Amino acid sequence: MASTSTPEQKVILVGDFGVGKSSLFRRYMCDTFINSNDRKATLGLDHYSKTFVVNGRNLKLLLFDTGGMERIASVTSSYYKFAEAAILCFAMDNANSFHSLSQHLVDITMFAENARIFLCGNKMDLPSEVTDDDMQQFCEQCHGLIQGTFKTSCKNNLNINEMFTVIAQSLCETNRSRLELQELEHHGFKVHPPEENVENCSC
Amino acid sequence: MDEEYDAIVLGTGLKECILSGMLSVSGKKVLHIDRNSYYGGDTASITPLEELFAKFKQENPGEKYGRTRDWNVDLIPKFLMANGLLVKLLIHTGVTRYLEFKSVEGSYVYKQGKIAKVPVDQKEALASDLMGMFEKRRFRNFLIYVQDFREEDPKTWKDFDPSTQNMKALYEKFGLDPNTQDFTGHALALHRDDDYLAEPAVLTIRRIKLYSDSLARYGKSPYLYPMYGLGELPQGFARLSAIYGGTYMLDKPIDEIVLENGRVVGVRSGSEVAKCKQVYCDPSYVKDKVRKSGQVVRCICILDHPVANTKDALSTQIIIPQKQVGRRSDIYVSVISYTHQVSAKGWFIAMVSTTVETDNPENEIKPGLDLLGSIAQKFVSVGDYYEPTDNGLESQIFISQSYDATTHFETTCLDVLDIFKRGTGEDFDFSKIKQELGDEEQ
Repeated sequence: MASTSTPEQKVILVGDFGVGKSSLFRRYMCDTFINSNDRKATLGLDHYSKTFVVNGRNLKLLLFDTGGMERIASVTSSYYKFAEAAILCFAMDNANSFHSLSQHLVDITMFAENARIFLCGNKMDLPSEVTDDDMQQFCEQCHGLIQGTFKTSCKNNLNINEMFTVIAQSLCETNRSRLELQELEHHGFKVHPPEENVENCSC
Repeated sequence: MDEEYDAIVLGTGLKECILSGMLSVSGKKVLHIDRNSYYGGDTASITPLEELFAKFKQENPGEKYGRTRDWNVDLIPKFLMANGLLVKLLIHTGVTRYLEFKSVEGSYVYKQGKIAKVPVDQKEALASDLMGMFEKRRFRNFLIYVQDFREEDPKTWKDFDPSTQNMKALYEKFGLDPNTQDFTGHALALHRDDDYLAEPAVLTIRRIKLYSDSLARYGKSPYLYPMYGLGELPQGFARLSAIYGGTYMLDKPIDEIVLENGRVVGVRSGSEVAKCKQVYCDPSYVKDKVRKSGQVVRCICILDHPVANTKDALSTQIIIPQKQVGRRSDIYVSVISYTHQVSAKGWFIAMVSTTVETDNPENEIKPGLDLLGSIAQKFVSVGDYYEPTDNGLESQIFISQSYDATTHFETTCLDVLDIFKRGTGEDFDFSKIKQELGDEEQ
C-alpha cells in the first residue's frame, strides 16, 4: 500500500471561534475573502490540498478546517490525529482569543504530539489588542514548542502565502529526517473503493 | 439552542453520529446534543488509561502500563468487515479520509479447547486441522459451491433453491458434519446462534461471501480496525455532519422530550427548548419508550503478551461457537494492541463478550478468558440491551437499539439504515454526497 506519489502532510487550523480560521482556509484554497459575518460560511469547508515546491521537491499540504464544531461544542480529538502541523490562530483585535491559546496548545500536544506548531495572529488590518511582546512572551512560555510566528490579514491578503510556504519548508525538513527514523509498522492505510484496490494489486 | 431544527439527535454514539451525518448531508437542519462532555457515548474509546480505571472504580494504575495517554480503550469491541456495510458507508460519505485502518492479523475459531485458523479457501480447507481427511474434501466442495454461487444465475444453484430451502438442507447436500457446520455458521457466516439453520440458505451464503470478499480486500483476515480505536468512527461522522451544517452541543443535559398530541415538537434542557420536527436518539434518552430484551457481558483485559497459538498476532479475533461450550450464543474474543495505537508499546487489550444466558455472566465468558493466559488487569461489565417499543412513525422519535454482542458492525449499520428509512421515508441516497468535497487535485 506504499504510495510513491507526492508526500502529503496534514495541517490543521486551531483557535477560538471567529478568529478567521475559515478565512485563512478560503485564502489558501481559492484566494478569496468573504467580507461578512455570516457564520454559515464555514459550511462545506472540509479540507483542501495544495502542492508546494521546496528545494525542487514536491510536498502537498492538506489543510483542514474545523467544520465550525468549536462554535458551541469542542472539536473532536480525531481532528488532531495524524496532523503534521498545526496553525494556532487568534485574532489580533481580540485579546480573549489570544488568552485561550494555551488551552488549544494543550489539545494539540495531547492529540497530535508530533505536530509542528505555528502561531498566527490574524486580522492584523484591525486595531490590535495584542502586542508583539505578548506574542514573543507566549512563545517563550511554550519552551520552544512554537516553530514560527506570523501576523496575517485575510482581508488584505497579507503574509498568508508566506506563512504556508514556511510551513511547507519546515515540514519538508522534518519529513526528511523523520522518514528515515519512522517505523513503518505503525502506519495504517485508508480504505478505498474496491475498484481502486484491484488496480493497485496489479502492479 | 432556541431555534427550530428539522431534527435533533441525542447522544453521539456511532449510530447517532452516522444518522446525524446522513441527515445533514440530505439537507436537514440538525442539532446534535450529548449529555456527556465528550463525543462517542458508549462507543467512545476511553483515554487516558486512568479514566478507564476510574470508570470501573479501580485504583489509578500510575505508570504501571506505560504512558497512560497512549491508551484508547473501547467499551464495545467490534471489528469492521473490509467489504461490509460500515466500510461502504465510510467510503460513500468520504469519512474514510479522516481515518486510517490496519488489518486484523488473524481470525480463529475454537474447537475442543484449542483454537484453529478459520479456513476460507480451498487450500486452507485442505490444510486445516479442524477436520478429518474426508470431511476436508466435503468442506472444500461446499466452499467451491459458495464461491461459484451467483444469486442471479440459477445454473450456479446446482439443483438447490437457496431462497426456499434452508441452510440445514444445504449442509446435508454436502454431507457436512455438525462440527464443520458449527464453524461455518459461526466463524464464517458469523451467526450468533443456530436459528439460521432453519432460514433460507441464501442468507448464509451471502454472509460467507461477505467474509471471503472481505478477506480478499486486504488479506490476513476479513477484519479492519481503525488506528486510535473505534471512538474515531463516531467522531468522523460527527465532523461530516458539522461540515454539512450540523450544530454540536456537548455537556448538555436533556430534561424532557416535549410532545404535543403524541408527536415530538422539541427538546428541553433546563429552561431552554429547541424546537424540532423529529428526534433521533439512543435508548438512554428515552427510558419510557424502550424495553430491555437482554444483557451483554463484556470483559476488557490488559495483557502483556499475545494470545497463545495465534502466531504472536498483534491483533486477532477468536470465535467460540455456542455448541463447543454448551451455550446458545457464541463467545467472542478480540485482541488489539499497540500496533493500532490503542495501548502502550508491548501491551495488548483483549475483550471477551457474549450475550448473557445465566445469572452468573462472568462465569459464562470463562472459556474465552482461559484462552488469554495471564491477565494483568480485568474490567467486567454487564450492559442491558434495549430495543425501542416505538417505531417512531407517530411520535417522530426514532430510537436506536443498544449495541449487541456481535464483533462486527453489520447489525449496527442495518439498524441505522432502517431508522433513516423510517425517519425520512426513503432509502439513503449515497449520490447526495458531493464526492471530493472541497478537495481538488491540482
